[in-house]
Amino acid sequence: MLNLKKILKSREITSLAFVVLLFVGVGAINPNFLSSQNIMLSLNGSVVFTMLAVGIAFVIITAEIDVSVGATLGLSAAVSATLLRDGAPWGVAISAALAVGLVVGLINGFGVVVLKIPSIIMTLGVNGVVRGLCYVYTNGKWVENLPFAYKALSQAMVGGMTWFYLGALLLTVAIHLFLTRTRWGRYFAAVGDNAGGATLIGIPVGRTKMVGFVLCALMAAVAGLMYVSRIGFVTPTAGNGYEMKAIAACVLGGVSLAGGIGSVVGAALGAIIMASIGRILVFLQFSSDYDNTITGILLITIVVVDALMQRRAAEKARRERLTARIAEPAAAKGGEEQ
Amino acid sequence: MKLTKIKKKLWRWETSLVVLLLLEIVVFGALNPRFLKPRVLLGSINDFMSICVIALFVTFVLITGGMDIQAGSIVGLTSISIGLLWQDFGMNIWAAALLSLIIGALCGALSGFFVAYTDVQPMVVTLGGSFLYSGLAIAVTNLSATESYKGISGFPSYFTGFSKFRLLGVPSQVLIFLALIVLSYLLLHKTKYGRSVFLCGVNRNAAEYSGINTRLVMMSTYVLSGISASLAGIILTSYLGTAKADFGKELTLPIITAVVLGGTSNLGGRGGVIGTALAALVIGIMRFGLSMAGLNTQYLDIPVGLLLIVAVAFRGLTGRSKWLGSLLQKLRERGKNKSKVSA
Repeated sequence: MLNLKKILKSREITSLAFVVLLFVGVGAINPNFLSSQNIMLSLNGSVVFTMLAVGIAFVIITAEIDVSVGATLGLSAAVSATLLRDGAPWGVAISAALAVGLVVGLINGFGVVVLKIPSIIMTLGVNGVVRGLCYVYTNGKWVENLPFAYKALSQAMVGGMTWFYLGALLLTVAIHLFLTRTRWGRYFAAVGDNAGGATLIGIPVGRTKMVGFVLCALMAAVAGLMYVSRIGFVTPTAGNGYEMKAIAACVLGGVSLAGGIGSVVGAALGAIIMASIGRILVFLQFSSDYDNTITGILLITIVVVDALMQRRAAEKARRERLTARIAEPAAAKGGEEQ
Repeated sequence: MKLTKIKKKLWRWETSLVVLLLLEIVVFGALNPRFLKPRVLLGSINDFMSICVIALFVTFVLITGGMDIQAGSIVGLTSISIGLLWQDFGMNIWAAALLSLIIGALCGALSGFFVAYTDVQPMVVTLGGSFLYSGLAIAVTNLSATESYKGISGFPSYFTGFSKFRLLGVPSQVLIFLALIVLSYLLLHKTKYGRSVFLCGVNRNAAEYSGINTRLVMMSTYVLSGISASLAGIILTSYLGTAKADFGKELTLPIITAVVLGGTSNLGGRGGVIGTALAALVIGIMRFGLSMAGLNTQYLDIPVGLLLIVAVAFRGLTGRSKWLGSLLQKLRERGKNKSKVSA
């Protein structure tokens, strides 16, 4: 147990080290990159991905996957933006977006938990349907002319940081504490690590997964609200492909798609990397056209290196166990009998 | 005895797909009589050839228990490579197409290598692959003299012609699709290689102990899907007469839908190419028919997504739910009794 905790801890620290190294490395080539203003811009710019990645982490930690968050972001953004444009009170627009998230999350959860559809299939289908609904709802047109006051929300600062990012940061920390310190929160990792074992000790596996999907979609809806404020208009394709970037952010942050391993802090760190790649390329005087290429290379390299390191660690541990058994057969026997 | 066997075969999943396909043709024919013209119906394949071709070989990947969400991005990379090699490097168009096919195979091999030899989840590797290959396609576009949004066009007529000619009224793409079905059917269901693909999905350890090089087999399925994606890219480039980097961007949903709707389990070990081919037609005809009936093409993901969910849910339910299972059982028995009476 203690060992597991250590691995969890080290995974976040490696992610953090990687982010710092990346920033310092780019800063060594172009010192302007390390200006506090630019760092703040990078952080503030990652807020939408942070919300998506943290949400998806809930689902990934329970060993499922959700590829419908991009469309969920799009639909909740379109719905709330239309309401705002037509002069509805903010409360109504925000609740409408959250309602979209809630419904999508419940549908995903229902399909995976009750109908037992594999989550990749279920959410892929839902992504198509919800994206189609985006087109139906907006009639294929852009939603523009949003109230200035709402757009100004994303610009409100507190000490160089936007309120949005501060909120996302606090939320991430709160969720991290919830997942690691509370009984309910620990169910998530338990379910993802070993669903069968979790059932045997009385954890409601289905309900936990359901909650994961609903929270993920709700976070996507909140990301949609932030997207509206930051971008200032909504196209029918808003958030297209964001689901893949959010999953990539989780993987970069050390969340394992096998479930049970990783944390939302890692996911948030991964989101900073994902959101900064374009900016880094500009600072290194490359065209931002290489964004996807670099993302792909980074993603594959990190997961492959991680897998190789884990395999080596596992082999080393096995060898140590073996030599210990040979050296002290009696002690090992005693240990086995316990 | 023989009749019961036939009945049993008739109750297979593929049968329901054929019924669904016929139903679609009847419904869309009623909505728009022009739909039923052989020329229109057969020619409709030009609109969804990529789905058909790629889904056939992604089936291999899913049967080994893998996942492939990168095939769509290889379509774009192939297309832009052909254009670039032909226009900016002055290569013969067929040599350019062949080289692009090799590029597709290499893309598949790279991802397949990481999946098979490092044990990273296939979903993650092909996610990285989809970023990498679509990114490369955009990066490569910058090498060209033509601006990227325009796409490269002006290909010689013998290249753009091969995907458009008709043999006795049958479009060449239908013939290519049929040939690929036969090829993949033989490869998957009639060869030793095909058996080892299945065995990898059923039980990888058992396959390894029985002397199959499972890593190589798994990697090879990604090479096959990469080649098929390239082939789809060549056909698409030829048919549209334009090479663009963003072709195939929206193909992931229909491809996976076709494979899973065709009866292949995403957990590996079960499936077949005939089902995939039928399912690809079901999806393609549905998209084509709905757009002919006047539905906006941007809405087409709604029915495809619903179809995916309903099909998988239905298959899962008939497998588990007691009353649905018993209902099917009764139907089957009634069929058996009838056949006995008639015998």
